[in-house]
Amino acid sequence: MGETVVKLENVWKIFGAQAPQAMEAVLKDGLTKPQVLEKFGCVVGVQDASFEVARGEIFCIMGLSGSGKSTLVRHVNRLIEPTAGKIEIMGQDVSAISDNELRRIRAQQIGMVFQHMALMPHRSVRDNVAYPLEIRKVPKSKRWAVSDHALGLVDLTGYEDRLPKELSGGMQQRVGIARALASDPEILLMDEPFSALDPLIRLQLQDQFKALVAQLKKTTLFITHDLDEAIRIGHRIAIMKDGVIVQIGTPEDIVMNPADDYVREFVQGISKLKLVKAHSIMEPLDSFSGSLDGAPRADHGADLDQLIDLAVATEHPVVITEDGADLGVVTKPRLLRGIQGGKDD
Amino acid sequence: MTDTNTELKVTAASDIEVDRETLDASIKSFVGPSGDYYVNAFHRIHDNTSLLPKTFNLWAAVLGPLWAASRAIWGMFWAFLILEIIAWVQIGRGLWGTPGSEFLERAAQQAELMQKRLDQAAAATEQADIDRFNKLADNMQRAIDTNMERVEQAQAEALGIMVTGIILLLVLKAVQGFYANTVYEKQYSRWRIDPDSTESGRSVRNAVMGVVLTAAIGPLIIYRFTVNASMELLEAFPERQVSELVLGPDNGTLFGAVASWMEARIDAAATAGGDVFDGIVAGVRAVLDALTVALNGSPWPVVMLVIAVTAWRAAGPRVAIFTVAAMAYTALLGYWALAMETVALVGAAVILCVVIGIPLGIWFGKSRRAYRMAEPVLDLMQTLPAFVYLIPIIAFFGTGNPPGILATIIFGMPPVIRLTALGMRGVPESIKEAAVAFGASKWQLLKDVEIPLALPSIMTGVNQTILMCLSMVVIISLIGGGGLGQEILEALQFAAKGPGLLGGFAILFLAMVMDRIVQGAFRREDQKN
Repeated sequence: MGETVVKLENVWKIFGAQAPQAMEAVLKDGLTKPQVLEKFGCVVGVQDASFEVARGEIFCIMGLSGSGKSTLVRHVNRLIEPTAGKIEIMGQDVSAISDNELRRIRAQQIGMVFQHMALMPHRSVRDNVAYPLEIRKVPKSKRWAVSDHALGLVDLTGYEDRLPKELSGGMQQRVGIARALASDPEILLMDEPFSALDPLIRLQLQDQFKALVAQLKKTTLFITHDLDEAIRIGHRIAIMKDGVIVQIGTPEDIVMNPADDYVREFVQGISKLKLVKAHSIMEPLDSFSGSLDGAPRADHGADLDQLIDLAVATEHPVVITEDGADLGVVTKPRLLRGIQGGKDD
Repeated sequence: MTDTNTELKVTAASDIEVDRETLDASIKSFVGPSGDYYVNAFHRIHDNTSLLPKTFNLWAAVLGPLWAASRAIWGMFWAFLILEIIAWVQIGRGLWGTPGSEFLERAAQQAELMQKRLDQAAAATEQADIDRFNKLADNMQRAIDTNMERVEQAQAEALGIMVTGIILLLVLKAVQGFYANTVYEKQYSRWRIDPDSTESGRSVRNAVMGVVLTAAIGPLIIYRFTVNASMELLEAFPERQVSELVLGPDNGTLFGAVASWMEARIDAAATAGGDVFDGIVAGVRAVLDALTVALNGSPWPVVMLVIAVTAWRAAGPRVAIFTVAAMAYTALLGYWALAMETVALVGAAVILCVVIGIPLGIWFGKSRRAYRMAEPVLDLMQTLPAFVYLIPIIAFFGTGNPPGILATIIFGMPPVIRLTALGMRGVPESIKEAAVAFGASKWQLLKDVEIPLALPSIMTGVNQTILMCLSMVVIISLIGGGGLGQEILEALQFAAKGPGLLGGFAILFLAMVMDRIVQGAFRREDQKN
């Protein structure tokens, strides 16, 4: 992993008039959430969250509505102040900086995309995208050039002078992404950006977004309530439940080794084709007694989807290689079990 | 998702059994005493498919409103208390009222007069006089007869009134008996939704309250309407006696004391704050003078041309033609200078309303607490009849055009404040959050997001304020405001129909032109967004 860009350490958020007292009581006496609600009338939004996101990484935060994921991510640009804990952006403690400095960071370092687009209806698409620059008092000529470039990145060239309402939902969200990219920020905060879109558009945008972020190397915190989406997009996924981060791991990690029943339940319906890699289902070479002449070969990082493509074209098993050397073998029964999710024979 | 510990049985709707036990328990906990009776009654109501009630609550019928009170059905209590009192009044009038008493009185007077005439006839010496008096006495006798007939008629009617009263009472009792349980069941349904604020059960407190209310209202009303010679105390509030009791005899009334006290206070305040009030008047006058110079000081062709072009640009050719026609009307009838003075008055009021009202509206839109505190004041400004605050305005600001504008502002400012606040609160949180997330400062948020998004609402407020200000034009002429309003006021004082109507039309045209132009301008603005 590269350099850490976003770092949260033991972040707590308690909502309510008596939040500080509640926080103290929680730290000292270890009150539970219902106790906090009963004693102080406070709701625990985020409970002891810690994670780090490296440069260029897409870090997904997955959870159902009300699990505190939106609250958590708003701590990064301090739209919400933490009750306790430390938040660092590129080594700088955000809770310690002045209002002016905070606004500068928000305008330059952090781009945010919202579930309901949140475009300004009275401004053209171009002026919407240019708004973060306008806040920083960038001259209009420069603003427009940058904004047109950002719109080009999301394939919206030609729509610059339209009003947001003239665009479809998917296009509006692309405007939202362009706006987040306009000031060339280091970090992108994506708050369920694709949730309100219909499934087909959502898939398209996910792919487009993933490619875009890979190309621009943006560090991304991506909130979603859809595990499929998290798996498609995320390098790592944090699963939240009732304000607690239950598990953090790569998509494969989470699918293959869910931390508890809650995660297991989520993972159950997930297709393993793109997640499970050849090395995790292959058998040793010597366990296969037949001839491997003419057997197709695949790299140990190949996923089930690719293995199936190879397997259907031949009667032989697939030989798994690493750096050209044979490593193991995947027979058809083994492959089928792998699709089922690694169930043993 | 895959939880199978709660087995779900699918049953056809017709096979589903009503779960009486939980329902019964819930009804019982609502009803309190005599639970079984109401469980039964509610079931009948629930099973009933026709409109006619299938239950009869004897106690509700017998006790009437008292039953409703004891069960805390206050709507039913008040409705049937009033209806039953009406029935009782009828019965009372029939029973111990003195129907036709006024005719009886008249007949007695006439009998006296007749006696006098008969005496005169007896005393008279000349035949002609005797005849004359006897004839007069005969006439009297006939009048007495008709009055006595009327008395009999009234007494016969009295029986009818009593019977009507009894029938009405019986019908009311029956209605209460039949519908009591239905109404009670409705209360039960409300209680199920909101058990905390819906009263349930039967409480002594409520029953006592019902009895007290009935005892306080019923007898007095029945007494007042059945017995003709009622107590003086009940006729009118004894404010003189109370005044005497408080202030001592011969010290005037409470009204006089409070009024003179207030007068002294107001005078003192007006003197004390004289500079402030003069300053306000001077400020208002400055705005008014500027507008007057622009409208009445400029040569009339220029003003007309500017107004016509404004109408054209803002609202299109049709409004422009109407504007030109309206201007021709005012100019040809000699109202031009007065009309421009009125426009200046309204314009000054509107400008001040907007300048003060929009910032206030923005503040109230952002701070809920400020709005809560301001709301009663705004309500008061709008509901107070203008005549009420004209007096303090005269006291503090004198008479003439500037105080008139101040009165107009009081009436005209609330809409722009309210609608600005409404618009500010209607700005979607998500858009505000987005602006903040991109580093907008408070001022940038206000300027770039909140005001633009609240603008349609603000413009509606301004338009309403303009119309409210126009409606004050005539009223402020009462405190020396000039313009067309004064013309109307004079016509009103001399009942001059012709001038009054002509002036009225001039104001009407003025209002229509202003409204059309402003609305047209706002519509254009809207279409742009």
